[in-house]
Amino acid sequence: MTPSPTAERRPLSDRTFGFLLTLPALVLFGAIVFYPLVGSLTTSLFEQSLVQPGREFVGLDNFRAVLDDQFWPVLWNTLVFTGLGTLAPFLIGFALALALNTRLPGRALLRGAFLFPWVIPGVVVSFAWLWIFNANYGLLNGILVRLGLIAEPVSWLGDPDTAMYAVIVAKTWASFPWIMVMLLAGLQTVPAVLHEAAGMDGAGVLRRFWHVTLPHLRGIIGIVVLLEIIWNFQHFDTIYVLTGGGPAGATTTFAVAVYDTAFKGFDLGRAGALGALWLVLLLVLVVVYVRFAEREEQS
Amino acid sequence: MTATVHAPAQTATAPAPAPAPRRRKPGNLGAAATVAVIGVFAFGPVYWLLVTAFTPNDDVFRFPPRLWPEHFTLEHFANLADNAVLGRYLVNSLIVSTLTAVLTVLVSAYTAYSFSKFRYRGRRSLMSLILASQMFPQALLLITLYLVFSAYGLLNSYLALILSFTTFTLPLCVWMLKGFFDTIPNELLEAAKVDGAGQGAVIHRILLPVSLPGLVATGLFAFIRGWNDFIFALTLAGPAKQTLPPGLVNTYLGEFQAAWPDLMAASLVVSLPVVIGFVVLQRYLVAGLTSGAVKG
Repeated sequence: MTPSPTAERRPLSDRTFGFLLTLPALVLFGAIVFYPLVGSLTTSLFEQSLVQPGREFVGLDNFRAVLDDQFWPVLWNTLVFTGLGTLAPFLIGFALALALNTRLPGRALLRGAFLFPWVIPGVVVSFAWLWIFNANYGLLNGILVRLGLIAEPVSWLGDPDTAMYAVIVAKTWASFPWIMVMLLAGLQTVPAVLHEAAGMDGAGVLRRFWHVTLPHLRGIIGIVVLLEIIWNFQHFDTIYVLTGGGPAGATTTFAVAVYDTAFKGFDLGRAGALGALWLVLLLVLVVVYVRFAEREEQS
Repeated sequence: MTATVHAPAQTATAPAPAPAPRRRKPGNLGAAATVAVIGVFAFGPVYWLLVTAFTPNDDVFRFPPRLWPEHFTLEHFANLADNAVLGRYLVNSLIVSTLTAVLTVLVSAYTAYSFSKFRYRGRRSLMSLILASQMFPQALLLITLYLVFSAYGLLNSYLALILSFTTFTLPLCVWMLKGFFDTIPNELLEAAKVDGAGQGAVIHRILLPVSLPGLVATGLFAFIRGWNDFIFALTLAGPAKQTLPPGLVNTYLGEFQAAWPDLMAASLVVSLPVVIGFVVLQRYLVAGLTSGAVKG
């Protein structure tokens, strides 16, 4: 973003004062992130209700119950949502970034306009798609019926076979603009000289893409994809508003399952156990991301 | 700190004018087609949201729907204005988002100043810690947060929402501001010290005034994050203190799922401040996001 100051930066002064400046942030972090994290993980070892005081130590019972019951379908749903919900916006965002990286007229304006779906509140994304997918008056059914592709209106969000894909379409709509912006920023750092040299050597568009553009974008692609995976793995808003995890649990991911178990089923122990398993999987992803980011920064 | 992961040395040579007269022709056609197809996907739903919000009920509830609106109405916006509950959600959203912005700017300014201009043991660990806080699943944290806020009588309070929003907005804001402070020369701050200014005065009389554009951008960003939040406001606030996102869900997606045009009108109203804020912010935001994402 900014040119690094030329001279090496000397410490201004007093180290203690420098550390003290971070105290407000540390207090917030401790109270709102760290303590709740430890608390929620501890809850997994207890039988505890949201609405009644007191709790009883039950060891690993909650984990056994969760692994026997919810865990595997929820894991599968989360993997499908994360996988397709990352792949689809990545392909769309990349295609758009490449298209906007040409000398298209009005591309600065277009780049801004395309960000709209990403900027608006998550619940509005869900409202718009709820209405489009609506079984009785929805736009999608209207178009498909008129084109003769379906005979009867389909309840996209009400059918366990289609609900997950409908949710992924909505999430893709909200995600691809950010991916486009990041990749476009990366594309603009590919030196034109390289392309010209490759062109003079007789490399066509596809070969230049494969041998010049892609290697240059490797870092930014890795960062974008890993961050999208991490975010999708814990995404809540779109799914919860579109389907509430239904129908028949077909779209219940970890975020929805933990939320519902705690705040609709009032079973904090089970929610904690499910959340602990979720966190372990998430931490694996975060470690991969941090490793990758550090390596990229060094190279 | 550079925004991207690439070596700046290579980009320095970029702006040389490339004399390539008609090489791009076929590519441009493909690019235009790509933009058009993705444009339908991107703007179709926006168009439909707009059309529905301004179409009378009689025309909305028919199948198949008409792609081009025939009649125009403002009645759905009038319905919103008449709804006192929505007014309360709006006021709650404004209060909570504004205070979140103020608190976030304060806390992230001190933190970013520390990270930018001081060197001490554990600094890099602290930076990672702050950045990592956005990686923890919020639904899991909410189990205990709910109990804690409940124990202190803070459920259904603005404070619970403001503290939560601020904490999760902090990482990106700290990184945005750190980028800003990195560009401020140390000499400027040291000169003030030579003139006898204390540590506090350096911050409040020199650093913050000089960084005003960055502070405004950060504040606006924090406002948007608070404005858009769903899960915290859904869980920690009852109807009296709820913000617009969960408020709209409770109002329109409960038992009566019929008021689609009203909901589309409300969606436009909720999106408006965010879109305006974003147009103002675009430059900072893109730069901040890129650097925040890269600095794992």
